[in-house]
Amino acid sequence: MFKYTVKRLGQSLLTVLIIATIVFLLLRMLPTDYYFTEDQLMKFTEEQKHDALEAAGLLDPIPTQLLNFYNDILHLDFGVSRRIQNGVPVVKVIGNKFAISMKMGLMAMVVSMVIGIPMGILQAMYKEKLFDAIGTAYTIFVNAVPALVSYSLVLVFGSRVLGLPSMYSTRNPGPSSILPIFCLAMGSIAWYALWMRRYMIDEINKDYIKLARVKGLSTSQIMYRHVLRNAFVPMVQYIPATALLTIGGSLLVERFFSVPGMGPLLTDSINRYDVNVVQTLVILYSTLSILGVFLGDVAMMIVDPRITIAEKGGSR
Amino acid sequence: MAKEPILSAKDVEIQFSLRGKKLTAIRGCSLDLYEGETLAIVGESGSGKSVFTKTFVGMLDANGTITNGSIMFEGQDLAQYKTEADWLKIRGKKISMVMQDPMTSLNPLKKIGKQIEESIELHQGLKGEAAKKEAIEMLKKVGIPDPERRYNQYPHEFSGGMRQRVVIAIAVACHPQILICDEPTTALDVTIQAQILDLIRSLQSELGMTVIYITHDLGVVANVADRVAVMYAGQIVEYGLVNEIFYDAWHPYTWALLSALPQLGVKGEPLPSIEGTPPNLFNKIVGDAFAPRNKRALAIDFVKEPPFFNVTETHAAKTWYLDPRAPKIEQPGSIQRLRAKMENRG
Repeated sequence: MFKYTVKRLGQSLLTVLIIATIVFLLLRMLPTDYYFTEDQLMKFTEEQKHDALEAAGLLDPIPTQLLNFYNDILHLDFGVSRRIQNGVPVVKVIGNKFAISMKMGLMAMVVSMVIGIPMGILQAMYKEKLFDAIGTAYTIFVNAVPALVSYSLVLVFGSRVLGLPSMYSTRNPGPSSILPIFCLAMGSIAWYALWMRRYMIDEINKDYIKLARVKGLSTSQIMYRHVLRNAFVPMVQYIPATALLTIGGSLLVERFFSVPGMGPLLTDSINRYDVNVVQTLVILYSTLSILGVFLGDVAMMIVDPRITIAEKGGSR
Repeated sequence: MAKEPILSAKDVEIQFSLRGKKLTAIRGCSLDLYEGETLAIVGESGSGKSVFTKTFVGMLDANGTITNGSIMFEGQDLAQYKTEADWLKIRGKKISMVMQDPMTSLNPLKKIGKQIEESIELHQGLKGEAAKKEAIEMLKKVGIPDPERRYNQYPHEFSGGMRQRVVIAIAVACHPQILICDEPTTALDVTIQAQILDLIRSLQSELGMTVIYITHDLGVVANVADRVAVMYAGQIVEYGLVNEIFYDAWHPYTWALLSALPQLGVKGEPLPSIEGTPPNLFNKIVGDAFAPRNKRALAIDFVKEPPFFNVTETHAAKTWYLDPRAPKIEQPGSIQRLRAKMENRG
């Protein structure tokens, strides 16, 4: 199992490296003008531009640039932003926003698990009863109605009826985070409830539940000791990935509530051709999702005894 | 038989509601079960043998109900049991069941030992180490080598036969009085079948259990049963001691079943099969349910349902052939040959 884990980790790193390389090479095809702010473009002479580019190593042959790029990444140096905040290191540009997005994402994840998983469990236990119908209606609503419409409903309800702030503000982060966190959680509540219900019902219909019943376990014992645990196993695989992706922030929610998070940063930096920010963000996002898949696989291996990979013939 | 039955079902009728329609799966079944005996219930798929016995442990599917009759066990009528609390006093503790498919009957994510321990803790009040010891003892009892190591393994590390042994261990862990084996060997290959039957037999004598086999394999019946009940279309049509059923059967359905035994086939001739299909249980059945498939059916078979006629004190068949007024009917050749075989053997 250890060997497998190390191997998978190596593969994950390689994948990130390949993505980084492709993004880097693609971005090098852009005109070099985008390494200057609009101001600089107006003022600089051709010579000044040339000097600046040369100083930044941007006129070196591509292989050399690529090697330097790898070297920088190894030292966690992602360069400086040129256009969004000229001269500020990318790490710092992302860092502040990252913290806000992550805080909100983690809160939203906790909220959605705490609500969504019990909701799915109850739906499965009272299948085709009123609660199940309400839960299913919610799931369908969240998935069918365009996100902006449901966010607007939350916004109107939250600010008019509950009197919560409708805009995020750094001075008042507590109350003003409530609505964006709820909007972030809305979709994943539906997701958790949907899959939890489905996996529970799958398990309830299996033969071993019949044996458990005939040996004298009560329904609640069967639910608690057999169904719940087994239904959770397939969920475990996806939880790390969804958790990590909430960190990345949501473009829609953050725009909608003017949260200064990471969500809008990628589109902004692409719009303004801030090369270093773009490539750092792409590396970050791909690392998060690859890490999520990797952690999901490892978690799966821990909870499911049937999975014994790579050690052929050793399990018996 | 002078003994008092341990379990006595009377006129049990079971209906299922399917898409708004009522299906009568069991149409008035009566059965006495005597302590320590092995009773086999045989019949083709859909004859209701599983459904009938499932009511003894309250395992009917949610859309099925007992609409008539009684099932007396220890002075209580199981047919009146409605709540789970009632059944928890019976299931596993007094009446237990072994299911058909060992591959799916165990929780794949729980250690074998823990699954046995669960029922031990439930019914014997043992905890922790004591329960574990008992579980290992149980594994040993069902013939699993190296039980201490096996205790910590998961179902996927067991073969089909081994899993069925574990299922049996779970079912008998609490020394039930009655063990229902619902086709316990159907999913296993032939060599393992014999082992499992041996195991059930030795556990039966060791623990003094009464065993009900549900099967459509007459070979199994001949092997293990003391008494046999033959079911057709939701009714028991004939019952008797195993010899009486095999060598002196009287119901035309039993005849048909027996003559389809491959052992009785004549080389070069096609094996007899029972033509036609069982009746649709959504409809009301008039007369003898088997009559439409019986080439030698009497006129009355299509009009009036026959009662049971006693052949001996222990043997009865539900057919008009045994009515003194009926025309003289000979048992078919294959049944006579069977009897001749037996008599030659002494």
